[in-house]
Amino acid sequence: MAGISLRHIDKIYENRVTAVSDLNLEIRDHEFMVLVGPSGCGKSTTLRMIAGLEEISGGELYIGDRLVNHVAPRDRDIAMVFQNYALYPHMTVYKNMAFGLRLRRTDKQVIDRKIRDAAKVLGIEEYLDRKPKALSGGQRQRVALGRAMVRDPSVFLLDEPLSNLDAKLRTSMRSEISKLHSRLGTTFVYVTHDQTEAMTMGDRICVMKDGLIQQVDTPQRLYDAPCNLFVAGFIGSPQMNFIPVKIGRTADGYDAGANGVKIPIPPSKAEKGRLDAYIGKEAVLGIRPEHLCDPQGSGSSNTCRIRVRTELCELMGSEINLYAAFGEEKLVARLPARVPARAGEELELGIDCEKLHLFDSETGHAIFH
Amino acid sequence: MRNAKTVTLRVLKYILLLILSLISVFPFLWMIICATNTAVDVNRGKLTFGTHLIENLTALFSPDLNFPRALLNSAVVAVITTVLALLISSMAGYGFEVFRSRGRDRVFNFLLISMMIPFCALMIPLYRMFSALNRAGLTAIGLDTYVSVIVPVIATAFLIFFFRQNTKSFPRDILEAARIDGLNELSIFFRMYMPVMKSTYAAGAIITFMNSWNSYLWPLVALQSENMRTVPLVLSAMGSSYTPDYGMIMAGIIIATLPTALIFFVMQKQFVAGMLGSVK
Repeated sequence: MAGISLRHIDKIYENRVTAVSDLNLEIRDHEFMVLVGPSGCGKSTTLRMIAGLEEISGGELYIGDRLVNHVAPRDRDIAMVFQNYALYPHMTVYKNMAFGLRLRRTDKQVIDRKIRDAAKVLGIEEYLDRKPKALSGGQRQRVALGRAMVRDPSVFLLDEPLSNLDAKLRTSMRSEISKLHSRLGTTFVYVTHDQTEAMTMGDRICVMKDGLIQQVDTPQRLYDAPCNLFVAGFIGSPQMNFIPVKIGRTADGYDAGANGVKIPIPPSKAEKGRLDAYIGKEAVLGIRPEHLCDPQGSGSSNTCRIRVRTELCELMGSEINLYAAFGEEKLVARLPARVPARAGEELELGIDCEKLHLFDSETGHAIFH
Repeated sequence: MRNAKTVTLRVLKYILLLILSLISVFPFLWMIICATNTAVDVNRGKLTFGTHLIENLTALFSPDLNFPRALLNSAVVAVITTVLALLISSMAGYGFEVFRSRGRDRVFNFLLISMMIPFCALMIPLYRMFSALNRAGLTAIGLDTYVSVIVPVIATAFLIFFFRQNTKSFPRDILEAARIDGLNELSIFFRMYMPVMKSTYAAGAIITFMNSWNSYLWPLVALQSENMRTVPLVLSAMGSSYTPDYGMIMAGIIIATLPTALIFFVMQKQFVAGMLGSVK
């Protein structure tokens, strides 16, 4: 078991494209760390640098206490699960799983025991004699996980392992990987572009964009207190609503004006004096879809009402995602399914002011959350 | 009206295809017919099967013609050439595709340009090189040896290009998984690349074997003694004698065609997959 320490890591390709820049990240021993971000944000490159499949242009990478910048992948005591499974097509499932151990001259009986144990845990016992092409996507992914498991590595690296699976299988594999992490207690580094995977699986999440870390925190903290506009928009589905507002002063404190509506900012969010520098200036107000509510059914005392024009209603079963226009701005609200809403109609929505987020419109940094 | 026109067009198409098929099949058919007839019948232009196949084969394998030796020479040369050409060219193609280096594409383009040089232009320099080896006393690897007909064709630009193109479909994940599992680069080539790319190897094997088995011009120059001559040289010599026995020659050609035809039929599926560049 081992933690991973990335210190001032840079990755610059031959064509001078910078994939990762001054990346600092401490992944604790036994931790399930998820690297998440849009395509091209450097998350896979970071994982591949940890694996040793990509050279590090600058900085230091430690696995445990060992500096591994120039250590070959096979000597890093890691196992990796790939997006396309990367099973050896000419070998049976059993041989695929045994391959790494055979190369390490592990005793045959030990190999056999480990493979049977892993196969039992993953439910692939009956496929051990089959070749990968005779397996479904989900079964192949289990084999790939099994191949990594039998190695007993210090670090598990998973590069978008569920991307090729259908939605239902992805959900079930998600929980299986989480269970596997609890069972093995190994350090997991998991790369995904899917924020739902990140939220449901990670002990901590590292959000990346353009080769830079945006925020590293627990899923709940990332959701509740995003440090900037990018994280706020990336984490959460449907994503957070952003409304450009002008900050004004009131008798009690401040308000945020948009489309003729003054949304009061409660003192609990910004005590007197805190937003003085923003008076009369533009900022971005952030509201999660679940904090836009039906004013009749709202339990919160601190609710501000706005009128919106409904554009689309997505019925999700127990609730609806209501897409609406507030002036020029597009909003999405998550409401109980009982709320009567039809496309094209005007509707009153409540904003739970205690749940507001405010971002600096120039830097994108959070002012409060 | 429209229907009648479609039917007429279709009939015309089939007639054209039939004629073209007959044109392409006729030489083979004629070869088989000739092999069953005497030289006199062949010269007379007989187009029906005869009863002299066994006589022609007996004459072909008579001790003075040394045909079995020619078959052995051809087999040795073709098999060794195929094995070495596949090994060397696939390693080169794999290397060009998998490993990045600064001058990689420039070197590869240079290699491709070499495909434009006709073999005839290389013959004289090659002859001089091998005869220089003979003069230096290295007769074991000089002219009139297996080496002299094998070495010049074991690394062809075409085969390297063919393997590089096919390597593009080799999944990189497998390569990386093998690196993590603990294989070194050479072992990855032998234990992962080779078995995964077996269709490409099958296609390459058929092409190389056929080229080597049918090779005529360079062996004609390089192989001078009776004992070293390959099948195409012996058959050609038979044809240029004062009174060529066409029945016997055609029987010889049938035997010469058999190995390549056999290999093709056995590896047909892999050949097609290999030419299409698929990885299974």
